Amino acid sequence: MRGVIKGVLAEELQNSLRMKKEYEAALRSLPKGCLSAKKIRGHEYFYLVKRVNGKVRYFYKGKISDAEKKKYDEAKKLRAKYRKHLSQVKKQIKFLRGSLRGKEAV
Amino acid sequence: MEKKQYDLCIEILRRFNKAGILDNFILIGSWCLYFYEEYFQDKEYTRRLSLMTRDIDFLIEHPRKIQQQVDIPELLKDLGFVTIFKGSKGYIKLDHPDLLLEFLVPEKGKGTDKPYPLPMLGMNAVTLRFLDFLTTNTIKIKLEDFYLTLPHPANFALHKLIIFQRRAREEKALKDRNAAVELLKILIDKDELATLKHALGSIPMKWQRKIIKGLELAEENGIIKLLNLSNSH
Repeated sequence: MRGVIKGVLAEELQNSLRMKKEYEAALRSLPKGCLSAKKIRGHEYFYLVKRVNGKVRYFYKGKISDAEKKKYDEAKKLRAKYRKHLSQVKKQIKFLRGSLRGKEAV
Repeated sequence: MEKKQYDLCIEILRRFNKAGILDNFILIGSWCLYFYEEYFQDKEYTRRLSLMTRDIDFLIEHPRKIQQQVDIPELLKDLGFVTIFKGSKGYIKLDHPDLLLEFLVPEKGKGTDKPYPLPMLGMNAVTLRFLDFLTTNTIKIKLEDFYLTLPHPANFALHKLIIFQRRAREEKALKDRNAAVELLKILIDKDELATLKHALGSIPMKWQRKIIKGLELAEENGIIKLLNLSNSH
């Protein structure tokens, strides 16, 4: 039998591995790109900026609704948060695998 | 425990309180051990119990009595929680690198392996046996400007003594057993033997027998003697 601490660490590793998949899926589900506003003769026009085949491209969206603006703003904030958490989870996995490396199998 | 983990826990409680739903919940699981520090007013005692996981579990004693419509996944979304559907039955869990949040309700009647729906909260809950025992004697501790409900440490420890014997994984069982025994010793040291005896007396004989068996497995004959328990029960 594994010790109590190793048992807890093994369980936490499983949790972190699951979470890694969840954050990757959550990032994929967010709308791609960010909005960029340009003011032309007092009117605000929007472009959707995103990477296509590694290159940054601008797609003209024109005038958009507040709801759409809010959607992209929220996605931007969540993307930053999810990326941060994904990085944290990857560090946890590395740490937990290191801690569990030994004679016993994880 | 890391400060950011504690801060996140407090932020969740703060939001539940602001949404008016915190009073419906009883915090259970290993996080109780951390908050018992407040109850015991003694940091040295609870240092002995501090093997905690990221799981934070909330028990809902009366799920049908919840009046407020609060979408919990939405309430916690900006903190970076992601909603997951665990297992084939679709239990909802909220995951964050620092905390894993889950809801539980006491199992009634024959029991079921299906999740208990909590439509008012946008969640569902796991139903488990013996949780009623945690609701019969609770304490409230003050955090900032609100109160958090926890099971009384006596009920918490005795409950752990019952459930560790039902754990499939041996190391998890050992963790529960150790926490229970340490907590019982703290309660005895703190002159709470009468509360312990009262909690024991309030439960069915069948459960009492399980507790005795748990203490025997832990080779804690001293505690059995102090609680005036014997196999003849």
